[in-house]
Amino acid sequence: MSVQQQMREKGPLGMLVALAEDVFTRVTAGIPPGEFRRMLRGEPPGRPNPRLKPHSETFLLHIRPTYYHESVTRWTHTFRLGMLSTYLFFLELITGILLMIWYAPTPERAYQDMIRLLSNVPFGQFLRDLHRLGAEAMVAIVTAHMVRTYLTGSYKPPRQFTWFTGVILLVVTLFLSFSGYLLPWDQLAFWAVTIGTSMAEAVPPQIVGETVNLLARGAPDIGANGLLRFYLLHVLFLPALLILFFFVHYYKVVHFGISLPASEEEVGEDTANRVPADRRVYFLPDVATDELSFLTGFTALLIVVTVFFFQAPLENIANPQQTPLHTVAPWYFYWLQGLLKIADKTIAGVILPGILLVLLAAIPYLDFNPSRRGRDRRVAIVSGIVAGTMMIILSYMGTPQYAVQAAPPVEIVQELMPEEGMGPAREIGYDNLPLGVWRTDEEVEYPNEEFAKLMEEFKAATRKWQEKDPDFNAAVGQLTISQDQPRLKRLDWYITWFDAQGAPGEFSRSFWLHQDSIYWEQYGLKHRFLEYIREFFMSRQEQ
Amino acid sequence: MQGIYIKSPILKILIGILATLITIGAILLVAFTEEIRMEEQAASWEGRSIENGAALYATACASCHGVDGKGASGPALNSYYFFTDTGRIQDVEFPGSLRQYVKLTIAAGRPSKQQSQWPVRMPTWGADYGGPYRDDQIEEIVDYVMNWRESALAQTPYEDPWRCFEDVPTPCDEQGFVGLLKRVGLTPEEYLAGLPAEAQPTPPPARPAELLFTEMGCNGCHALTKANAAGAVGPDLDPLPQVAGERIPGMSPEEYVYESIVNPDAYIVEGFPPGVMPTNYAQRMSEEEIRSLVDWLLQP
Repeated sequence: MSVQQQMREKGPLGMLVALAEDVFTRVTAGIPPGEFRRMLRGEPPGRPNPRLKPHSETFLLHIRPTYYHESVTRWTHTFRLGMLSTYLFFLELITGILLMIWYAPTPERAYQDMIRLLSNVPFGQFLRDLHRLGAEAMVAIVTAHMVRTYLTGSYKPPRQFTWFTGVILLVVTLFLSFSGYLLPWDQLAFWAVTIGTSMAEAVPPQIVGETVNLLARGAPDIGANGLLRFYLLHVLFLPALLILFFFVHYYKVVHFGISLPASEEEVGEDTANRVPADRRVYFLPDVATDELSFLTGFTALLIVVTVFFFQAPLENIANPQQTPLHTVAPWYFYWLQGLLKIADKTIAGVILPGILLVLLAAIPYLDFNPSRRGRDRRVAIVSGIVAGTMMIILSYMGTPQYAVQAAPPVEIVQELMPEEGMGPAREIGYDNLPLGVWRTDEEVEYPNEEFAKLMEEFKAATRKWQEKDPDFNAAVGQLTISQDQPRLKRLDWYITWFDAQGAPGEFSRSFWLHQDSIYWEQYGLKHRFLEYIREFFMSRQEQ
Repeated sequence: MQGIYIKSPILKILIGILATLITIGAILLVAFTEEIRMEEQAASWEGRSIENGAALYATACASCHGVDGKGASGPALNSYYFFTDTGRIQDVEFPGSLRQYVKLTIAAGRPSKQQSQWPVRMPTWGADYGGPYRDDQIEEIVDYVMNWRESALAQTPYEDPWRCFEDVPTPCDEQGFVGLLKRVGLTPEEYLAGLPAEAQPTPPPARPAELLFTEMGCNGCHALTKANAAGAVGPDLDPLPQVAGERIPGMSPEEYVYESIVNPDAYIVEGFPPGVMPTNYAQRMSEEEIRSLVDWLLQP
């Protein structure tokens, strides 16, 4: 229709309206304004359904199904864990790319870059905390996703291969998180990864183990080459692998549909393509609204936690010459650390986890039980719960509390003023540490309440270890605080004791504390904000 | 099983809007406090560096340069002459800043013991020059040493613990705070008299002799039972009350001990080398303190 003809039929205003409608329909990829309005009002679509057009017009919507079975859209059916995993991956991708701007993977620069990111980049700490929190949440959510799938038996035919790719995604997620661990190049990172890669060394036969270890570290010990390799794994290789398997996984999910509750679906049934018309929930607008509101809610939660409650740890710079008192794996590898305490490195570190992984991936091909109902799957569910409990027990054994303890005086000082992080002595701060000699066997008036509490903890720790260790008797602790330099105090911890034979022992350890120092537990808004809230409530109580 | 889910699209949209507002609010809160946070962080990392430097100094440097940086068998660092712009840095004609001079000296050490009166050559500490410490550790030690600036520049001419470097062109009597004053034709008394009343130094209270014995580092080199000291570098001080009067004919025990503290190389006990004991104790202790230390040492 020519412009003149349109002009004649509709008039100038009508033509503008038609033009606007046309633009709107293009932007929405096929939904005219009238239909959009009906959508917002919750009215049913016309026939044939005009709301399907965007699915064939746009790439991102064409990979989404046009409708779901009503039973799977309930939140408690899947808890949206798969979607959350995907969302977190893209969140990590965005924050990760931004963080790459201020980071160079060399031992000379990596840690300095962390300091610069924290002290010289607006939103630098926020980005780092969000990236770290997102990574830990991703591991947790991917694991929960797997547990849910196992408990509802959703891996059964025709979804066996979906499960298999899911296990690969879980492993890639774990490695992705772990490879990011080394990048800050602090003590925490260096020693966790040293232990992690030393497990690769235990792969039998010896020549293979050594080669794998050499490939991962780039040298017999972790150094510049190892850092570069972990960096490339973290930012390139593993994300690419994850994207590849994600699309395989997702294609299978759409292809077979999300499994219905066991009561509504028989194993082997193709439910995705046979949804009764009255049970269909269309993606546009119902599922889309639901997902958008859910993801904005989740984002808000994540940001609020990042801003107020979470801080990514940053210990001292990596020092290959100094092994920390307690090296800790990331929490999702506590179970492995626990396992390593029972058996040797080859069995507990390589063979057992390897067998577990193969078993996990092969579950759908080993489980011939034709039912997904809970009452028919007692063996599977009980063994799942047993395996989960085992993991929790092993994890507990892997925590630092269960760790091999050092000598009592070392542990006492570590408790009050740890090698890494804050601890009670640094927490009360420079100003609250009074100069002088303070002993645990004296009852004196302390200059301030905070310091009195610290000395109380010192006394309690000394008492506790005397009860625990027969070789640690009549222990006396002494804390000498002196002014070493302007705005720098020196804390000398000195502990004497007698062992079971009555022979005396002594231990001393010195630390310094600068007036301006803050340790990672005290970083940023969280600390100040909590302090602010505390002050607010204290002033309320006084009134 | 019915399950829990929100059905109303209006409620969902409201939740979405509320969540977006909360997100924006939290990010704005960060934005408004970001300036303060970055300042705090920058100050903190300087402080952390000084803390780490202090630990390294205590293990590597304190034995020669003194726990308080006022020198022992090595030169003083916590010194007015060392920190002031017209002092050491100008006399050695180093083209860079004092910080760079300190860093270079720590990292590379002194290349040779030739033409030096110090008993021990400054070792190389930086890994680049064959020493044990990485560059970031050297930086930390430098941060710690430079942190004395404030206290060093607050020293009076008498308090400056600087000991002469014999191998530089500047003559000995023109080094140290007193030497700097001499160059402009002032005596310390004239300088102090010229200061306004509020800038006049107040003499600190005299320290007890027992404390001086450890604070001045005597226990590091001398043995003395009553002070739990077992140093073997210098003469044993336990027999001092008996032998002090017989060492130099015509000299009272008090005079002998006093002279040996203030001017250690005046009389050398046989079997010990000269030039080891620091010569700046007269500057580091008040007259009253030295007298009390002499009395305490002579008490059996």
